[in-house]
Amino acid sequence: MRNLFNLSVTVNGTLYEREVEPRLLLSDFLRHDLGLTGTHVGCEHGVCGACTILFDNEPARSCLMFAVQAHGHKVITVEGLGTIDSLHPLQEAFWEAHGLQCGFCTPGILTTLVPFLEKNPDPSEEEIREAISGNLCRCTGYQNIMEAVKLAAEKMRD
Amino acid sequence: MKLVGEYTFNGPREEVWKIMRDPDVLVTALPGTKRMEQVSEKEYIGEVNIRIGPISGSFSGKLTVSNEIPPESITLTVEGKGKIGFLKGAGDVELIDRGDGTTLMRYNGEIQVGGKVASVGQRLFDTVSKSMIKQGLDKLNETLQDRGAR
Amino acid sequence: MTKQFIGKRIKRNEDPRLLTGQALFVDDVEIPGMLHAAFLRSDYAHARISSIDVSAARERPGVVAVYTAEDMGDDWEPGPPLVSPPPTLQGVTFHSRRQAPLVRDKVRHAGETVAVVIAESRYIAEDAVEDISVEYDPLPVVVDLGKALEPDSPLVHDDLDSNLAAHLYQQKGNYEAAKAQADVVIKKRFYLDRGAAAALENRGIVAHWDEKGKQLIIWDTTQAPIAIRNGTATRLGLSENQVRVIAPFIGGGFGPKMMMFYPEEMLIPWVSMKLCRPVKWIEDRRENFYATTSEREQIHDVEMALTKEGRILGIKDDFLHDTGAFDPYGLTLPLNTQCHLMGGYDIENFSSNCSAVFTNKPIVTPVRGAGRQQGIYVIERMVDFAAKELAIDPLEIRKKNFIPPDAFPYNNVIVDQAFATLILDSGNYMPIYEKAVEMIGYEQFVKEEQPRLRAEGKHVGIAITPFIETTGVGPYEGARVQIEASGKVYVTTGYGTQGQGHYTSFAQIVSEQLGVAVSGVRIITGDTAEFHWGTGTFASRGAVVAGNAVHAAASAVRQKVLKLASKVLATPEDELELEDGKVRMANIPHTSVSLGELAALANPLRGAVEPGTEPGLEATDYFGPQYGAAAFGTHAMIMEVDPETMMIEIKRYIAVEDCGRVLNPMIVEGQLHGGVSMGIGNAYYEKLHFDENGQILNASLADYLTVTAYEMPPRIEIGHGETLSPLNKLGTKGVGEAGAIPVPALFAQALENALLDYDLEILETPLSPNRLFELLYKS
Repeated sequence: MRNLFNLSVTVNGTLYEREVEPRLLLSDFLRHDLGLTGTHVGCEHGVCGACTILFDNEPARSCLMFAVQAHGHKVITVEGLGTIDSLHPLQEAFWEAHGLQCGFCTPGILTTLVPFLEKNPDPSEEEIREAISGNLCRCTGYQNIMEAVKLAAEKMRD
Repeated sequence: MKLVGEYTFNGPREEVWKIMRDPDVLVTALPGTKRMEQVSEKEYIGEVNIRIGPISGSFSGKLTVSNEIPPESITLTVEGKGKIGFLKGAGDVELIDRGDGTTLMRYNGEIQVGGKVASVGQRLFDTVSKSMIKQGLDKLNETLQDRGAR
Repeated sequence: MTKQFIGKRIKRNEDPRLLTGQALFVDDVEIPGMLHAAFLRSDYAHARISSIDVSAARERPGVVAVYTAEDMGDDWEPGPPLVSPPPTLQGVTFHSRRQAPLVRDKVRHAGETVAVVIAESRYIAEDAVEDISVEYDPLPVVVDLGKALEPDSPLVHDDLDSNLAAHLYQQKGNYEAAKAQADVVIKKRFYLDRGAAAALENRGIVAHWDEKGKQLIIWDTTQAPIAIRNGTATRLGLSENQVRVIAPFIGGGFGPKMMMFYPEEMLIPWVSMKLCRPVKWIEDRRENFYATTSEREQIHDVEMALTKEGRILGIKDDFLHDTGAFDPYGLTLPLNTQCHLMGGYDIENFSSNCSAVFTNKPIVTPVRGAGRQQGIYVIERMVDFAAKELAIDPLEIRKKNFIPPDAFPYNNVIVDQAFATLILDSGNYMPIYEKAVEMIGYEQFVKEEQPRLRAEGKHVGIAITPFIETTGVGPYEGARVQIEASGKVYVTTGYGTQGQGHYTSFAQIVSEQLGVAVSGVRIITGDTAEFHWGTGTFASRGAVVAGNAVHAAASAVRQKVLKLASKVLATPEDELELEDGKVRMANIPHTSVSLGELAALANPLRGAVEPGTEPGLEATDYFGPQYGAAAFGTHAMIMEVDPETMMIEIKRYIAVEDCGRVLNPMIVEGQLHGGVSMGIGNAYYEKLHFDENGQILNASLADYLTVTAYEMPPRIEIGHGETLSPLNKLGTKGVGEAGAIPVPALFAQALENALLDYDLEILETPLSPNRLFELLYKS
């Protein structure tokens, strides 16, 4: 007999109500129950940051949370930042600055940066480096990610 | 990984020796022990629940004693496995009469682990095993003192 | 007049999908009725299996099936040999032993698959894995490469006399004669150790056997979809055309995803056919450390003979190479190492014995660099020691020995990983080397800054390391280019992508030929239903081999376009130009016909066609180079070390590259940044630690330290050279692995230089703050 919980959570502005097992991870809930596969799972240990989403507007590792912990809360994933036809300035900046290669770590970096740039509209190089230091990337060496953030800050200031 | 240390018991050597060999005492002493039985003169089998950082699970295993020179010294060999991995180890234990009613225990051993507990628990292993040993010896010491008081 | 697309920094076609979470990775695949797999893996590195009891697992609600090797019956078969020893090499000993889908007799490395559970969800499958009881008889473990060939060593494969997996010997000229002439002979022993690729995306596979349609579709995080398709068809008794393998977006390859017929790749499609349901398996991070291949462990005994002026007369290197528990990848890695032991130097005499050795550790197959790191580490360290011994400036000694520009193509006589003679096609090394020297400000640093910093008590070192990289090897790749009636251009190739930007760089090649915008070219890679001839993405060969195939196919389409347009516009071909998706008369822009219109005309619904015509504007072509193109580069670095904390800070980093013609400088720079970050990891932060029981002690990203933004230099400054390759029409060479190759050697030089007062001699890699502490305070 499975012990199910009636979860109610707002994701990217839409309210979802689902029955879930208490042990279901938030990352699995978003990816497989809601089909929002933009959030990626790199380690399930909370180290790599690929699974980062915004939980009540603050970045959080969805692999370290249970879906039931999001009950009554607001979650934003990369799909909530922009669309192919209407990119968020941060997404545009990454595109222009070649801030991604395989793209697997990218959604987690974008969600980490959104609140960062809101709080720091004119960040220094040191501040940017610190902001992304909790996200692992194996492809870019971070250099173009830093460039993309600087470009995004510029775009968002205008 | 080496496990080396000392501990002072509040009681005479002979009593320490007795409780060390008593499975009913051991089962309460070692943290997480679910059961422990003596199956032959030199062998005990049992099951212990272990938690190391994010990894927890039970080990079932065998403890063998050898090189017994009561109440001075003994060698303990342990072998266990479970869902979280396996472990094997051996150690020499020495009991020294300090002449003031207390007994100094010296232990010197090595333990090897494999499986999940080895690859994810590595950093914590040292501290967790030291803490488990201390807890176990404290419990034995308590029992020793209770018996002495009777 | 056609626009120039090649060589331009053009935004990538694939990015909008990746940025908005709309790109399909293997774990994103959802099929109704899909089941999930979880594996029981051995904790022991070496053990016999006396019994497996899966009855409890089978009874768990939600579990559909549990399989062991016994359940596979006659279908049980080890993986196929992937690379045979070069037929061109004499006297090779090679014992081929390959991995099993599920262990049958004994476990040979920790993490080997013992049983698989198929259940309604991954959560239930993992619960059921814990229900399985296995009785193991542990056996003594052999982990130490240096001891594995000793007579009393435990044997990984009992049917062999020893743990020798392979032996080969290569030579050029006569080393012993050269040694007799030498003024000085330097001897050293080097220890190199393992690192993982640790791509952000772990491996995964979804297999869907459609019983009614008798079709098998597989999504796999593989760098070699075509080989997986063909091999899987053979293993399952299907026709190749019944199997479709799709390598969708892949979160980083770096080599291990080129390894084929991993146990899970052998098992999951078989399970899907057995159950007639789609089955998904996604690796988790801890599994990745054991179950995905890694590389780099070797022990080298090296001798170098020189004149007192510093001219290298010869080099001899006998080395051991750890291949892990099995050797499906043949001799590729040791051959790559051997081919880089002479670096970019003109060395006439060379002798090298290599023994590949089995150990109870996970399988070794290429990881970015693929054996080249080790060769470059050895030669560059030896040159550094020679410079010290002979009191010659480390830059001067190198300049004395570089292959001169007029000596190309330079024949290095020995055989390489592609079975061909190692010939360096073209090169002009001195200007690249000197550019790096200049960019880092070597003279000024050594004469002024460094002495000043040393007087302040700081430990700052400088290093400059040149290297070659063999790239662009065959056998071949292919591509098909088609202009559709809509005017859109559609290109497909078997060559897969794991982030290298092929959707853009290949489009640039097509745009150059057909005059359409790069964003108007749609590229499909890695789907065997679209294109089923080719080998895979490895050895820095995408631009060279697949790029040239795309070029050949696009040129063929261009010829068809011109031929047809010439008729339609009643103008000779040489007066026509392709621009903006149209064909027009040069200088008379209003007389034109669009590519789409031409495509429609080329595929008439009525009327007769001329004999020998092919319909449409489509062409398929292939490219296979004669041999691999050799790129050259030089990296330079200024680094500060704190001799108390052992922490390092890279103050400046220069990478100068000559990879022939550059297709998209933005993408090439990205590859260099990424390669350098992996090189820095390989040099100072990453090492797979095995204990004497074959257990990996740091099997998580918390303990296996890949580089974060903090470990990178403030900026990697890039310089370019361009010595075209004569081996292909585009003149390109590969660059995918270049960033990673010289870095361990660079670090060794920089650390010794920074810690001059400690008189350090570095003979190993990877290092780490802990290891540096041991080296400093033991010396």
